[in-house]
Amino acid sequence: MNAEAKQPSPVRPESEPTSAATTVPMWLIAGLLGLLFLGAWYFDARGGWFEAKVYAPYLSLADVQRFQPRTGGPEDVILRGKVLFEQNCALCHNPDGLGKPAQAPPLAGSEWVLAAGVNRLIRIPQLGLSGPIEVKGQVWNLPMAAMGVAYSDDDLAAVLSYIRNAWGNKASIVAGEQVKKVRAELGGRNQPYSPDELKKEAE
Amino acid sequence: MTAIPPTSPLPIDNSCRLPLFTLFGGAAVWLALSSGFGLIATLKFHAPAMFANCASLSYGRAFPAWSHLLVYGFCLPAGLGVGLWLLARLGRVELAQPWLIAVGAKLWHLGVLVGLIGILAGQSTGFEWFELPRAAAVILFLAFLLITMWGFVTYTRRTQASLYPSQWFVLAALLWFPWIFSTATLLLQIFPVRGLVQASVAWWFSGNLINVWLTLAGLASTFYVLPKLTGRPLQSHYLALFAFWTLMLFGTWTGIPAHAALPAWMPTLSGAARVLMLIPALTVGASVILTCRGVKTPCAGGPLCYTKFGAACLVLASVLLAISACPQVSRITDYTWFDHGQNTLRIYGFFAMTMFGAIYHIVPHLVGPDRVCPRWMRINFWFVMPGTLLLALPLVLGGVAQGLKLVDASVPFVAVAKSTLMALRISTLGETMLALGNLIFLFNIVGAIVSYYCSVGKAAYTEATALEPARVKA
Ligand code: HEC
Repeated sequence: MNAEAKQPSPVRPESEPTSAATTVPMWLIAGLLGLLFLGAWYFDARGGWFEAKVYAPYLSLADVQRFQPRTGGPEDVILRGKVLFEQNCALCHNPDGLGKPAQAPPLAGSEWVLAAGVNRLIRIPQLGLSGPIEVKGQVWNLPMAAMGVAYSDDDLAAVLSYIRNAWGNKASIVAGEQVKKVRAELGGRNQPYSPDELKKEAE
Repeated sequence: MTAIPPTSPLPIDNSCRLPLFTLFGGAAVWLALSSGFGLIATLKFHAPAMFANCASLSYGRAFPAWSHLLVYGFCLPAGLGVGLWLLARLGRVELAQPWLIAVGAKLWHLGVLVGLIGILAGQSTGFEWFELPRAAAVILFLAFLLITMWGFVTYTRRTQASLYPSQWFVLAALLWFPWIFSTATLLLQIFPVRGLVQASVAWWFSGNLINVWLTLAGLASTFYVLPKLTGRPLQSHYLALFAFWTLMLFGTWTGIPAHAALPAWMPTLSGAARVLMLIPALTVGASVILTCRGVKTPCAGGPLCYTKFGAACLVLASVLLAISACPQVSRITDYTWFDHGQNTLRIYGFFAMTMFGAIYHIVPHLVGPDRVCPRWMRINFWFVMPGTLLLALPLVLGGVAQGLKLVDASVPFVAVAKSTLMALRISTLGETMLALGNLIFLFNIVGAIVSYYCSVGKAAYTEATALEPARVKA
């Protein structure tokens, strides 16, 4: 310690800095208020008000809901059907409903889809289809699996309503009740229909 | 704000010597080592095959080693050392328990070493700016508490009751770090939260560390060194107060990047906060300009120069931060070199430069005025100042160019990556200059410490030998 006392640090007294009392200039306060306003506006416009379901690029909960399939009126049923169709049927029938060569026939403009009654139509996704089928004057012969068997009555009705009303198709909405009735009629059947057999059912 | 009669700083300086030597010496070593890893990482862009068969020196480990050593090795100990000095000097009181603080500092350096070994061994956590493995995090936390505790004791023992702005900043920094670091360690390392929540915790932490902690600790020094060296009062108490509160209020929200896959309110709030960070930055700019206006003190590569350059970089980095918060801009700059450039500008340009200034101001008080060569201090400045700019600015500009290409779907990804090479080349040059500058810093600081102890030893020796004849006679 004795040695340290001798070290050559400046021994003369030193004063430490002081601070002046000038106030904060007006432009800074104005800037703060301006930016606060901007920030609040920005948050209001895009922040979704702390809603955990809102992610960019959606701006608010209403915005998100606008893109959600809902259950309600016919447009909602069709929207829901679109989502299901694109998940499960579009792989073969193509999102534009035109089908794919050597994979699946078109649904757009198909007489099977646009038939006045839906008694036959419901049976196709419910059990699948195999055997030669004529769609819009062209004969196809490929198997389709029972793609709709796992759907609830309402969901299958929604898909069919969608394909009956998309891509320029125009036909009645299918109701869940109708699907329920056909399913009851089919009983325990799990063998696919052939188009010829299908034609024997009422339209 | 009232004038206080000058006091002799001798006992205070004596009490600070050991802990500050430990903190600054270690910081200088880690900083030089960090630039070594930085160089390896940046050279990989030009010679990817370099050290290809050494896993520890692969980019994925050298880069985190660089950032780990830079922040935990250099920034925190340097900030702590300067903070303790300010608490002692401004409180006109000797540092409490310098020995225990020195032990805490050693423990801290041990933690940094453990972290470095973990990262090089591939145990990095993968969170940016929080790469250190769990054991290292726990050691660092305990070491920080040990140091902070005596910082607070020093503060409560102060003989000067009224506070100077720098003291608020130091105290806030001493409280801020344990809060954010313990939160991050608990939620990411000890009881890890699930999924995306981890990312949001990590972003929150790094935003607080870099945008708040470094700014608090850096400004404590800025607000002290400028008036001290220019001999003018700080302009002003209220500006400092304004910067203090706005910085803490807005800074803590800034971490989440604009395109984070989190609920929209989080990145949106962060974006707004990043723009609001303009306010503390402009306040600091105004305060620096008003304080230095008309001052004739020569700058000449000394502490004043470092500090002013640091403040300018803080303003520039904050402007970049605010610009990149606008959705139209972040659409382009997110996921590019831009953010990294902005961060390096903040860490090197603002914080490290401010710390260099403070350390070059403090160390002569501890070792005696003639032991740090002013010429080498100037040379150091002329390496690190251009080095920082050459490192950070090409990344910022290159990031914009890279982003413009990235959003253009017709440009293939490889072409985008290749087009950043020019910016990376310049930044490698900057990194090299910085590495040299950091080596000079190391030699200046360690040289001063060694030469101090040599002279103490010599004095003790001559004293002992001078006594000999007298004793013999008796
Ligand atoms: C694996 C591919 C595939 C999937 C998926 C698929 N289909 Fe089919 N679909 C076919 C094939 C093949 C035929 C023709 C069967 C034949 O030749 O007898 C067909 C025929 C049809 C027909 C009658 C012919 C026509 O073009 O109008 C309808 C209606 C139909 N599918 C509806 C659907 C619905 C609704 C779904 C989704 C629930 C669906 N399909 C999913 C392959 C598929």
